[in-house]
Formats: sequence, C-alpha cells, structure tokens
Amino acid sequence: MEVVTLNREQQDKDVATLIFSRSDKSVNVLDEICIEQFEACLEQLEKDTPDVLLLRSGIEGCFIAGADLDLIAAVSDVREAIALARRGQAVCHRLENLTCVSIAVVEGACMGGGLEVALACDHILAVQHAKTRLALPEIKIGIHPGFGGCVRLPKRIGWLKAVDMILSGRAVDAKQAGRSKLASLVCFPEQVEPAVASLAQKGKKKPVKVQPLWMVLPPLRWIFFQQVEKKVSQKIPHVDLLEAYPSIPATIHLLNTTFGKPDSVAYALEAESLGRMAVTPTCKNLIRVFHLGGALKKQEAVKRGRNWVSGVGKTSVFGAGVMGSGIAWVAARNSDVDLHDVAAQAVTKGLSSLASLRLRDVRRFNRIRPVLDRSGLAASDVVIEAVLEDIKIKKALWKDVETVVRDDALLLTNTSSLSVSAMQQRRQHPERIAGMHFFNPAPKMPLVEVIAGKRTAPEVVDQVCALAAAWGKFPVITSDSPGFFVNRCLMPYMVAALRWLEEGQKPEHIDGTLKVFGMPMGALELADRVGLDICMHVGNHLGEALNPERYAMPEWLSRMVADGCLGEKSGAGFFMYQGKKQQGLNPKLASYVPVVSVAEHQLSQEGLDSDIGVSIEPVTTRVLVHGCLIPMLIEALQCLQEGVIEDAQHMDAAFVYGIGFPPFRGGLLRYFATQARDRLIFDIEAMGYAVPENMEVLDAFTR
Amino acid sequence: MVSTAVVKGSEKNHVREIVVVGGVRTPMGKAGGAFEYLSAVDLGVLAVREILARLPVSKDAVDAVIIGNVIQPAEATNIARVIALMAGVSRAVPAHTVHRNCASGMQAVTDAAEKIMVGRAEVVLAGGVESMTHAPLLFHDEFRRAMSQLPRARTVMKKLSVFVDIAKAPWKPRVSLIEGLTDPTIGMGMGDTAENLARDFSITRKEQDAFALSSHQRAAKAWEDGWYDAEVMHMFVPPHYADVFVDEGIRASQSMEALAKLRPAFDRKLGTVTAGNSSQLTDGACMLLLTHREKAEAEGWPILGYLHDWAYSGCDPSRMGLGPVFSMHKVMRQAGLNMADVQRVEINEAFAVQVLACQKALSSASFAKKHLGLEQPLGAVAEERLNVHGGAVAMGHPVGMSGTRLIYTLLRQLQHEQAGLGLATLCIGGGQGGAVLLGSESWKS
Repeated sequence: MEVVTLNREQQDKDVATLIFSRSDKSVNVLDEICIEQFEACLEQLEKDTPDVLLLRSGIEGCFIAGADLDLIAAVSDVREAIALARRGQAVCHRLENLTCVSIAVVEGACMGGGLEVALACDHILAVQHAKTRLALPEIKIGIHPGFGGCVRLPKRIGWLKAVDMILSGRAVDAKQAGRSKLASLVCFPEQVEPAVASLAQKGKKKPVKVQPLWMVLPPLRWIFFQQVEKKVSQKIPHVDLLEAYPSIPATIHLLNTTFGKPDSVAYALEAESLGRMAVTPTCKNLIRVFHLGGALKKQEAVKRGRNWVSGVGKTSVFGAGVMGSGIAWVAARNSDVDLHDVAAQAVTKGLSSLASLRLRDVRRFNRIRPVLDRSGLAASDVVIEAVLEDIKIKKALWKDVETVVRDDALLLTNTSSLSVSAMQQRRQHPERIAGMHFFNPAPKMPLVEVIAGKRTAPEVVDQVCALAAAWGKFPVITSDSPGFFVNRCLMPYMVAALRWLEEGQKPEHIDGTLKVFGMPMGALELADRVGLDICMHVGNHLGEALNPERYAMPEWLSRMVADGCLGEKSGAGFFMYQGKKQQGLNPKLASYVPVVSVAEHQLSQEGLDSDIGVSIEPVTTRVLVHGCLIPMLIEALQCLQEGVIEDAQHMDAAFVYGIGFPPFRGGLLRYFATQARDRLIFDIEAMGYAVPENMEVLDAFTR
Repeated sequence: MVSTAVVKGSEKNHVREIVVVGGVRTPMGKAGGAFEYLSAVDLGVLAVREILARLPVSKDAVDAVIIGNVIQPAEATNIARVIALMAGVSRAVPAHTVHRNCASGMQAVTDAAEKIMVGRAEVVLAGGVESMTHAPLLFHDEFRRAMSQLPRARTVMKKLSVFVDIAKAPWKPRVSLIEGLTDPTIGMGMGDTAENLARDFSITRKEQDAFALSSHQRAAKAWEDGWYDAEVMHMFVPPHYADVFVDEGIRASQSMEALAKLRPAFDRKLGTVTAGNSSQLTDGACMLLLTHREKAEAEGWPILGYLHDWAYSGCDPSRMGLGPVFSMHKVMRQAGLNMADVQRVEINEAFAVQVLACQKALSSASFAKKHLGLEQPLGAVAEERLNVHGGAVAMGHPVGMSGTRLIYTLLRQLQHEQAGLGLATLCIGGGQGGAVLLGSESWKS
C-alpha cells in the first residue's frame, strides 16, 4: 500500500510534492507504514533536492491527524517509547534540514504529530476549510508532543501562546493560526497556487529571537512558569497532579528546562520525558476513555438513526427549569428549539442559569424560543419533557401533547427514576415514546442514557441515539429498570458515604478524600447539589424496587429533609450554601447524625480540649474510597447480569461521562480491574457483601 | 391605485383580496428601559421567530419580507434582510426595508398588499421595528471632515495640522433622536407642529390631559381584561431574562393632577404639549403575515381580517398632525364610504392634541370646505369607537412599528366584535397622512 507518494514537477522551479494519502483509513495517521515511506521519500529528497517541497494530503478535510493512538497505547517500555519519539524527531529533523524551501499545505485536521511535521517545514500554509484545525492535543491523552513540537512551537509563535496551546491542547482554525503566526499565510482553497509561489519566494525560515524577549531573564522566566503551574493546578484542584496527570507538570518542567538549550539537547530531553509519560497508567487510561467515547458515538444504533436525524427541524422541550433549559441548549446545536413552560418565572430562571454557564454561542442561544402558550408544537419533530419527576404530571402532559403533535414526532422523557413503560400505558403512540436521560448540567455532561420502554419501536431507539450523537452527546442504551444505570449505581455510593458519616468520619474528610481520588465533587456535596429530598425519594424508590439493604436511607436523613435541610436549594444540607457557593459545614449537622457529634470534632480540631468527644481516627484514603466505590461496583456488576446495560465497556464510559469518574483512572471497572483481585475480594467480603458471580468481567478491563 | 373597492363588475373577481393570516407584537418598552440591551434587529428577530412559530404557515411559504424602520441602525442598513436571515427565513427569500417616517410600519404592510395584489408574491411577511433607545449620537459634520483628513495626511507636519483641526472641530454630539423628530423643510420639531394645532383649534391643556388620562385608563383596563394577552408576546430580556409582557409606559394610576404638574415640553413657557400628553419614546416590533384569500382558504390558514383599501396623502408639514383627516377622506372616497359605515377607528396618538385636532377638523364644515372641497364635514369619530384599547400616549410610539401595530390591533378588534369596517390611520412627520381600511369580512360577501 502506498501511503506517501513523491511527485516531481519541473516548471520554472523544481517542485516536489509529498502527498500523504491512504486508502485503508479515513484520516492520515503517522503509523509504522507511513513513517517508513516518509523516511524513504526523505532519502530521495536528500540525494536530489528540489527547489521547493510541498507537503499535502490526498484526503479531503484531513492533513495528518497525528500519531497512531494504538501505537502509543501499545507501548509498555520506556526505552521503546523513547525510540518511537526519537524516530519521529529524526524524520522532522531531516525534513527541517533539507536545503529547499518546504511548505506544509494544511487543509483539514492537522493534529499532534501532524502539526509537528508541519512545524518542521519552513512555512505552514493554512487553507480555509470547515475542518481546518491545528492543535497539539497530546496533553489530553496524558503525554506531550514528542516529535520536537515542544521545541519548535515556542520558536514559531512565542512562548506565551505556545505554552497555552501545548498545555490546553486547544485547536485553532486557519484564521487564528494566521493571526498567531503559526501559519505564515492563510488562503482560500482556490488560492493555494499563488500562495505557495509567494511563500517559495520568501525562502527558508530565518532563525528567530526569543519571543517575548523578557523570557531570557531567568527570574522572569521562573515567575512565568510558576504562574503557569499555579493556573493549571487551580483548574484541576484537589488531585495530586503528579499521580493523576503527570504529563502536566512534566510538560511544564520540560518547557522550562529546554529553554535556551541547543536543539539536540532539547530533543533528547523531550524524547526522554515522552518516554516516561507514555508508559504511565494515566496515558493508557486516557486513551482508553477517548476510545470509549468514540465507540459510543459510532455504535450501530447511531449509524442506523443518522438519516432520520438530518431531517429534524424543530425540538420542543417542556419544563424550563435548569434541566429543561440545559436540554434546550443542547438541542439548539443544530435545530430550532421551543422551550415550553407554564410559568414565566421558570423560564427566567432557566435562561439565567444557561447564561451563567457562560456558553459563548449567542446564535445558538437565540435559537431557543421561550413559549408559554404551547404554540409551535405541531411543527415539532421531537418533544422532550423535563417537568417535575411525578408520573401523574408526566402522563397528563403526554396526554395533552399527543393530540397536538404530528404522528411521527418522537416523544422523549427525561426521567431519572420513573418507568418509561408505565408512561406508555394508554398512549396513542406508545411506540414513539422513549427515555432520554440527561445529566446535570446538561450542556456540560456528555452522557445520555437512552431508555426503551416495553413498547418502544426499535427504530425509535436508533433515532434517539443518533439524535444524542448529533447533539454532541454519548448515548448509552439501558433497559427500562428502576434508576436505569447511572443513578442506580450512584445511590449505593452516596449511601456508603452516609454510612461513613455515621461511623464518625468528618464530612470534610469524606468529601475531601473522594475529591483527592479524582471525583469532581464529594458524595455529600453531590447529595446536597441534587437535593436531599430527591436523594431520599430516589433511594426509597430504588430500595422498594430492587434491594432495600443497599439503598437504605438512614432515618436521620429523613429528619433533615423534614426540617427543610434540602441541600443547595434551601441553603443548608451537609454543607451551607450561598447561591451556588459552598460555605462550610452545616453547624446543625451534629444534631442529626448519631454516633459522632460534628461540633465535638470541630472542638478537638481547634485544640481546646482534645479529650472531649468521640475521637475517631480518620480512615485512610484507600479504605474510605473503596468503601464508597465497592457498593457502586457491585451494583454495576449486578446491572450487567440483569442486562440493564449490554456492553460492559459502556459502563465505564457511563461512569466517566455521566458522573465524572476520574478519566485518568479509566473508569470504575478499569480501576478495580487494575487492583489486586484477591485484595478486592477480601475488601468486598470485609464489607459484608457477597462477592458478585460475574467478577471475571473485570478481566476484560485489564488490558 | 388598484384596489378591490374601485374595481367594478366582472373584473372584480380577478383582483385578489388581501388577508392577514395573523400577527404578533412585542410589548413596548420605554426608551432606555426594558429593552435597553436589545437592538432593533434583536426585537425584529424575536418577533419574526414568534410569528413563524405561532402560525401554521411554514417559513418556506414566505415569498418576501418587508419591514418598516425609521432609525435605521448603521450596523444593519437593510434591517429587513438582517432580521429575516437571523430569524431563519430562507436565504432565497428577498427582504427590503421601507421608510415613511411614522408610517413605515404601515407602508410595509400596504406594500406587501400591493405586491400580492398584482401577483408578484403570494405570502409576505410585513412589519415594523424600532429601537428608539439606540438612536445614535452623531458627530458634527466638521468633525467628520477633519477626521477624514487623517488618513490622507502623510507627513508629520500635516498630521499635526489635522489634529489641530480635529481639536478645533465641534465635539458636542448631535442627538439623532431629536434631529430625526425635526422637519428640516420647516425647521420645526414635531412638538412644535403639535403646538400649532393647539392654537389653531384652541385646544386647551386640560382637554389634552383629559385625553391622555383616558388613553392610560383604556390601555390599563384592556390589559387588565386580558385583551392584549393574545396580541403581545412574552419577552425574556437579557441581562436577567426577566419576563416583559405588559407595555411599559402605561400608568394605571395616572391622574389629572399628576398630568397638570408637568411642564410644557416644547414651548417651555406658554405651551400646552407636555411629555404626559404626548406619545412616549419606545422600542418594539410588530409583524403580520399577509396573503390573498384564495391562498389562505386553499391552505386552510386562519384569516384574521381583510385589507380593503389604503391611501396616503400630503398636507402642510407644520400641521402634519392633521394628516389622518386627509388620508381618511381619501380612502373613504375611494371606497365610497361615509364615516357612519366605519365601526372602529385607530388614530395614532402622536400627541393628544393632534388627535383632538383631527376630531375638530373632521367635524368642521369650514375645514371640510376649505381643505377637502366638501359641502358637509366628514364628522368626528364617536369616542366609543376611537382608540378603544388605548393608544400611543399610554403605550408608546416606536415610530417604525406603530403603523403595523395599529392595523394589527384594529383587525383583532374587528374580528372580536365582528364589527365590519375599521380605519387605521396616522399622521406622518413631514406633512403626510396614511390610512388603511380594514374589515373582518370579505368585501364581496
């Protein structure tokens, strides 16, 4: 298979064109075969150098999408990884050292290794195309650029922009690339020829001064990198960066140390650092999570429903609360949305909550039309309800709506605990009713649970999946059982946290430990944010339907709810809240939680009298976290056995994208799969649970 | 002019009857008030989006968009096109903006009707938008000239001299809102023309205030009764997305005492026209969807009412407030009607005194003889038939929008009362009047 071809053309100048184009994939990647042929071509070029060398792609909408992810995922040895980087660096180095003017004609995606190759050219010509994106996204998979990108990018666009681009992995389009001087020239597709001629005229790239100049002063440089580090750790608080995302401190360190070093030393340092990063579990896990998301978006159901989605003109969302307006925002990605509610105040609240998420797309916002009079329903292709979680209200709504909407409109319910099958009863078109469960906040959480009721038509499930994918979400199909998948697994986790509280662990310790583990928020804070009344309700509901023991809500929680301690919405739960901000522990908590009195704990903390009160040693991180996660694992395995979810791999995707399980751990099952199995079984038994029968499912997660 | 009314006999069957399928309007927000953060484009987009969603007419059925606008924003010079595209009307549908000062919104509707009548369009989206909040501040022309020299000055010395010129040019901004409400041909503000009418027809301050009070009371009552609920759309306005629904200018607690306290706004010493008895500076948008009867019936669309005929006429610019008298006369003559045949009338309340002057002129035999060449006066409009749900003194007069609003609100009244015929008319700065003859029923039946 020919992947890289070399064309020579003798016009007024001797022009050689390297064309990257492959027939086996939809994108160009730098894998073994590609690099090999690239090297061969370079050899020819070194022997017989033309005047101008062009790098182009034969694939529309893609220049080079980067190094082969599987190649990185497969690396298990540091030396192997270093060799890989060295090889890529050598290719780039040879390209850079050609005596001719080299121009990368970038039309389409130019990512990672692709951009590093382009950076090795004298000029980047960015061609305006909807898919033209230039980025070094390596940081997102737990490594950093390794083909010389860390060295070349700062020289090209200056340190400030380069550091931001490398550490954020953010992509720029053609115009932005031109503005930041990453591209020497920006042109339209029709202008490539004159643009190439003009760049050829400019000649070789000249050596550049350090940009900005003050970076040469060591103290200022030191302050700069300090600030960068501070900003990054503010963005990812709580976790230990060295353990969780080692590539971030490593990249900062690398950029700092390579400054001012001769190129050969800098490249050696880069390769070495990359080698260390590529073998970290974080890297493997992040690649895994990336694939999990991709697999959800490309699942069969999505493919089958895709045709239908392209025809969706209007979506109506019922309930303008935080959830409903969030869904409206999601749906406004590619169609008009009517946001229905009966109360104007609800609309005001919903729209302001959207505005507070600082979503920048004004046009998308303008596609959301608030409706108080139910107009426009007849023109809707999709109706989603996010009204109160009460089967009577929902059924009444569907009864009204079904008389107005078209016969082929999808009727979707965003419920977290009610049965879709129950909702289908006595409806005119039960086959078009399905569940579509979003997670809060809907604009930011990527997961969507798609639930088929008993009478839902199979093509409707496909359509809902495709709809979710078109809205940029990851659909996971679950069966219509209580709590579906994510909430069902989440409840035992929260109950476990409540048990820790009962056993005398401090709330800050519980939440803090979980956050250090990598959860986006502590279990108690999560309960507060969801609303303690809702937690109670869902817990009781699941307990009745499934297993009372795992969902048993402590009696004192119902007293809290009865007293109006509902969490964020009432200003006090386990913690105090002012608006959305957490303000510290609820002083009244001591009067609810038995065994340990929080106030006494606080006393001893202040050192007034350390002997007073029950002094319970805080348990270790591992014990506490496993105490919360093991019930979740057992529930997940139970779900798999019951067929709530079919593909075991989808479960990890659901945990990462639905509840924000730390991606650097690769998902809940992956996390436990990498723990010593006998120790895990010991822990499960020690907690008084029966060891699940299908533990061997975890085996598939070790790779 | 071709109209259903003047075409007789067998030809009549070939002339399309113009119908309004439906409409919607935003509430009217005081200038610098509720809609401070919405531009004229935003208001128009929201109204167009709303009307397209409310009516059973697909947006692909629209053949043209015509929008009236007076203070045309510099950043959206053909505001109709900008609104149409941003509201999701197909790119293939042409759009243009019309301007006839206070009648711009009416002009858009009658232009649409004429287009449909001669068969150049089937379905037209017509309306008016105005954001008086965003009337720009302008630089003096000398300042502009001095600035324009800057790019041409190459040497340092020349640049320096241009800077001196700029520094010397008048810096004080010109308020386009005030200049726009001044007639350059006579050098008079609209308020001054109103004062002329007060003197000509000896209309006292008290009469004007009483009219203003009644306008507020009528508007407040109409809102209270829910009359406007179906006419006006809810607006959720940034930055706080608070619900704006009721017209902001209405003061239910308005009293004669409060009105009497106000100082005259134009003739500061001896005048009678105050801010309280004039229309309010406001922002708003109103949209109508027009087609012809056969089309509406064939598609099964609802019919809000009929546009039977219309006329525009000129008059003395310094007494532009009498415009409605001339245009009403013209349209009634065209249609062969008397004042008694008309059940409802909406005269735009640019100024209370201007409506009162129209009434006096309508009932004056000498005026009829001198200006209209009639032996008998047309007759004043009975109070219970005139502006029954309040007018611009209470609710506001977003100049480009009012013309559309009058037609829309009158059609709704006629449909509700099954009242037969109605006249929507307004005075136009520069000395013109416009009038539209509306009906709830077809002319033929």
